[in-house]
Amino acid sequence: MTYRVAMDIGGTFTDVVTFDSDARQVHAGKVLTTPDDLARGVFDALERFRLPFDDVSFFVHGTTQGLNALLERRGAKVLILTTRGIGDVHRIARGNRERLFDLHYRKPTPLVGPDAVVEVGGRLDADGREREPLDEDAVRRAARRARDEGFDAVAVCFLFAFRDGEHERRAGRILREELGPERLVVLSHEVAPEWREYERTSTTVMEAYTGPSVHRYLDRIEARFADKGLDVPVHVMQSSGGLVNAGFARRHPLQTLLSGPVGGTMGGVAVSRLLERPNVICIDMGGTSFDVSLVMDHEADVSPSGSCEGFPVLMPMVNLHTIGAGGGSLAYAEGTALRVGPESAGAVPGPACYGRGGTRATVTDANCVLGRVDAGSFAGGGMRLDPDAAHRAVEQLAGELDMDPVALASGICDVGNAKMAQAIRTLTVEHGREPGQFALLAFGGAGPMHAAFIAREIGITQVVVPRFPGAFSAWGMLESDVRRDFSMQFLATDRTLDTRALSAALKELRAQADEALTEQGIPEESRSVTHGVDMRYESQDYTLTVPILDTDEITGADYAEVLGRRFAEAHHKRYGHATPGAPVQFVALRTTGHGRVERADGAAGEPAEETAEPVVREVVFDGEALPTTVVARSALPVGARLAGPAVVHEETSTTVVPPEAELRVDEHKFLIITLAARPEMEDLA
Amino acid sequence: MTLSPVTTEIIRSALIQAAEDMNTTLIRSAYTPTIYEGKDCAVALLDREHRVLGQSSGLPIFLGNLEECSRRTEEEFGPRVWQPGDVWVLNDSYIGGTHLNDCTVYAPIFVSGALVGFAASRAHWIDMGSKDPGGSMDSTTIYQEGLRMGPTRIVAGGEECADVLRLIATNVRFPDVTLGDMRAQVACARMGVRRLGELFARFGPDTVEAARREIFAQTERLERQRVAEIPDGVYTATGHLDNDGITLDVPLEVTVRITVDGAHMTIDLTQCADQTTGPVNCGRSQAVSAARVGYKLLISPSVSLNGGSFAPLDVVVREGSMLGAREPAACQYYYSSLGMLIDLIVKALAPAMPDRAAAASYGDSMIVQFAGDNPRTGKPFVTLEATVGGWGAWRGGDGESALINNVNGSLCDLPIEVFESLYPARVTEYRIRQGSGGDGRWRGGDGVVREYVMEADQDLSLWWERSATPAWGLDGGRPGTPPRVVLNPGTEDAREMLKANSLRVRKGDVLRCESGGGGGFGDPAARDSGTAG
Repeated sequence: MTYRVAMDIGGTFTDVVTFDSDARQVHAGKVLTTPDDLARGVFDALERFRLPFDDVSFFVHGTTQGLNALLERRGAKVLILTTRGIGDVHRIARGNRERLFDLHYRKPTPLVGPDAVVEVGGRLDADGREREPLDEDAVRRAARRARDEGFDAVAVCFLFAFRDGEHERRAGRILREELGPERLVVLSHEVAPEWREYERTSTTVMEAYTGPSVHRYLDRIEARFADKGLDVPVHVMQSSGGLVNAGFARRHPLQTLLSGPVGGTMGGVAVSRLLERPNVICIDMGGTSFDVSLVMDHEADVSPSGSCEGFPVLMPMVNLHTIGAGGGSLAYAEGTALRVGPESAGAVPGPACYGRGGTRATVTDANCVLGRVDAGSFAGGGMRLDPDAAHRAVEQLAGELDMDPVALASGICDVGNAKMAQAIRTLTVEHGREPGQFALLAFGGAGPMHAAFIAREIGITQVVVPRFPGAFSAWGMLESDVRRDFSMQFLATDRTLDTRALSAALKELRAQADEALTEQGIPEESRSVTHGVDMRYESQDYTLTVPILDTDEITGADYAEVLGRRFAEAHHKRYGHATPGAPVQFVALRTTGHGRVERADGAAGEPAEETAEPVVREVVFDGEALPTTVVARSALPVGARLAGPAVVHEETSTTVVPPEAELRVDEHKFLIITLAARPEMEDLA
Repeated sequence: MTLSPVTTEIIRSALIQAAEDMNTTLIRSAYTPTIYEGKDCAVALLDREHRVLGQSSGLPIFLGNLEECSRRTEEEFGPRVWQPGDVWVLNDSYIGGTHLNDCTVYAPIFVSGALVGFAASRAHWIDMGSKDPGGSMDSTTIYQEGLRMGPTRIVAGGEECADVLRLIATNVRFPDVTLGDMRAQVACARMGVRRLGELFARFGPDTVEAARREIFAQTERLERQRVAEIPDGVYTATGHLDNDGITLDVPLEVTVRITVDGAHMTIDLTQCADQTTGPVNCGRSQAVSAARVGYKLLISPSVSLNGGSFAPLDVVVREGSMLGAREPAACQYYYSSLGMLIDLIVKALAPAMPDRAAAASYGDSMIVQFAGDNPRTGKPFVTLEATVGGWGAWRGGDGESALINNVNGSLCDLPIEVFESLYPARVTEYRIRQGSGGDGRWRGGDGVVREYVMEADQDLSLWWERSATPAWGLDGGRPGTPPRVVLNPGTEDAREMLKANSLRVRKGDVLRCESGGGGGFGDPAARDSGTAG
């Protein structure tokens, strides 16, 4: 027997999904996270699931180690080494105000204080030519200071290092000589070879800040693997949605920053392929937050940069849009107006129906009043709910707003759903798309309960609830490819494009990708490499990545025109307009190496589970209590169909099927809900 | 028709989101950094009566005056002028209130043949064909400031008006990017048309109208309640702009006189200086906007904007004053007085609202502009940079350092690596200007030092302000250090100046710019070095 194992280590729970490659069965479960030593939790989980270590053939996990260090400000003590004259760039941070009408505005507190910045002589110009040699003595003095004052890491960020990294490399050598291998030295041109000194400094500092704790974590986990005789590579999910081995993650720790949540998006990619639906909106709704991400043309929507805790990060990240909306979102009155969220009741006291002392109405309480949450089977029966407390909380607010409590409960859900629908639109508008073209994939504890209503709000007609919706990110990790990204500054215009230089650059990038995939243990037949070029109109800032296809004749005389046309099409698609014939610029080349790993689609091999009789109970839809079928998911075999209204409960989640919608169980054991199209959406589509 | 609070709330958040979607569309597709980097733009969704349904802005002072454009168009041409698929542009300073660079693009929204509202956006176009590239620091009439457009149709029935676009293209220095930005604004208007159309299709006109009334009423009630909490009385404050850029030794008075009477507030600006020769004048609608910003900072910072906003507020402007300019007053630097006006409103009301107020900020955009021919590209270029500075302290906290001024908001500084890659000058220093914030129990934020070295001969223009009235402190706090700009510091030719128009500078010349600090709050002797921070 061999098992493939994935773990998503979250703040409270660690979700575990295993795939038995012989029996082709998937199992999922949860254990408590061990925040003091995440590596121990991994082994507790393996033992808890009685997985013989010898039989584990593949291991991947998402870790919050780096993110926790950042969120809790427990990262390394970092010294910044930068070009003379610009030591305050990290503190100035572009100078913008995020809140326009806040007289008491403060920027996010920098991770490095003003006393821990050292300026050194040495300057390149915009073309990367040396204007002033590097002051190596100053670098050495800084290194000694770092050692004497007990800094854990040094972040080196020199002006124009993305043009030529030689000054940074020399500084790095001196620092390593003085500091030895124990302390981390991070060079900006290696972390983020792109222009904009503040953003690059921020990225470099974050890598230095989170790196040592990620290193310690990976060391511990690999040591334990060795102790237990577990001889498989430790894979880690990156923020970009690709897997890498621990060796790479150790060298690029910041790329694990969003390790956990992106597993859900990558699960979305797998679902999009299984269902042959190229475009999927992934929604992950838990107690306090609602994450949206997109899959387009079977690919995850990955941005070349993002931000975390208000600090910019220049590295590929799955584009996750988060708003404060979840089961715990509080409903309240502001004058005669109803508001829902973003403030949350959190885990403590939580919704009133949790019976932990909460008295204010939340979205979960509203669902409880409407009969959509089964008090007995919530969390697989692991938690008794107090429906009376939910009623009391909703009635109290209904009194304030002079409303009928049931109408208010419906209204709380409607307002929450409208906000989540808008969060989805925010993301699709950025891509110039409308949500109606997508399927909606719902997971997380609360996602499947709201998905059909959110879908109706934005004209989506198909909702998919995967298996194990509460552990879907872990499942997604088992379905992910190894991925390595490379970029290279490539500045040219359509008039100056040197196609031979382009061809040579792509060849070099392909070689880098091949080497990286070899290092990741990917055999040649499982590799693929894709190229793109970031383009824009002259003096535009944002770029679009235009694909360079393997079939392209790159050295052809008209290749600049070919790319120009491709760019104009992409521009029109995304922004609704284009300026054909206007001068275009090429900015950077982007190459991605993909390594396919074995998939874990196992539903076919699984035996039917025991059946429990469905019951009929009253649930409120659009203000009316309707007799509704309530059934355990395990009682629904492949091919089963249910007409709404219906409620399907399982251990980690509850799926609600409204009237006039239909549910079926497809061959992958996904729940597929089909909704009628809304006529006014069709008119406008 | 009365609506359930649920429907009202759903429509309210949909309107806010519609404005955000318009803003996203504009910023993502704009061509020039002034818009996508500086966020020098704003969008609004308006109802049939030109009242704000939803607004999103990168610039606080574009608050609540986009509606003047469609309103004046209708006054001039009558209500039948609106046709489906049309898009209009307007940049007349005496209507829109700002300088000619700020072009408002707006479109009527029809649902089932009936006019239901308007989608509008305003964005800074990089050059309007003024006598100097980008805009002049020394213009004395609006006719030197470039192409001025009253209400002008640029798209008719969904088709671009080629003749009008040609007219624009032949009057501006960078036609490709200018028309690119204009098309981004058209795309933005279309997003607004689509979103409001969807909302009407879903809820029907009667429900949307009922929700609108309720949303406006909610905002109005909330704001009246807050104004009523301020003790009745007359509150005043006065400051002075350095000069109008032409007559350098005559400071210009800005005075606010605020009367609070129950749930009503009047901001009287009539005592401000007369309209001047230099380009510091603004149209009435922009003075009203700035007064609203000052009001909002204190009264309703987190309340989203709609047609019920500012209901308790009257703003009185004197025609012919610097804040109520008449043709042919020059308006290029219309905002210097407005930044001060905003700070003065806060100062005037500080005794009544000591916990909400803050000491003054460094005050103005502190513009540095280079223009000329770039030897690296062989092409003409023009830069436009605002400089960040220190903000005022408040009871309970130090002012922030190196932050953009109050008339701006989302504006980011220009990265040195972007600047040097595009233009023939280098930045050799960019640091916090230590100690420039005013002392106090809580300290004002510090300004910055930004030093340039020319890599080629070029023309320098400067518009720096607030040396006559640097950032004042409150409650015993000390003022911030005023700004200082020196050409070739430490040499025999060293020359201090705060304003310049197309001054020729040579390769190797050094320009050192030091922005001011914010004012302190409270007695410096009471500062607790262990806790304040």
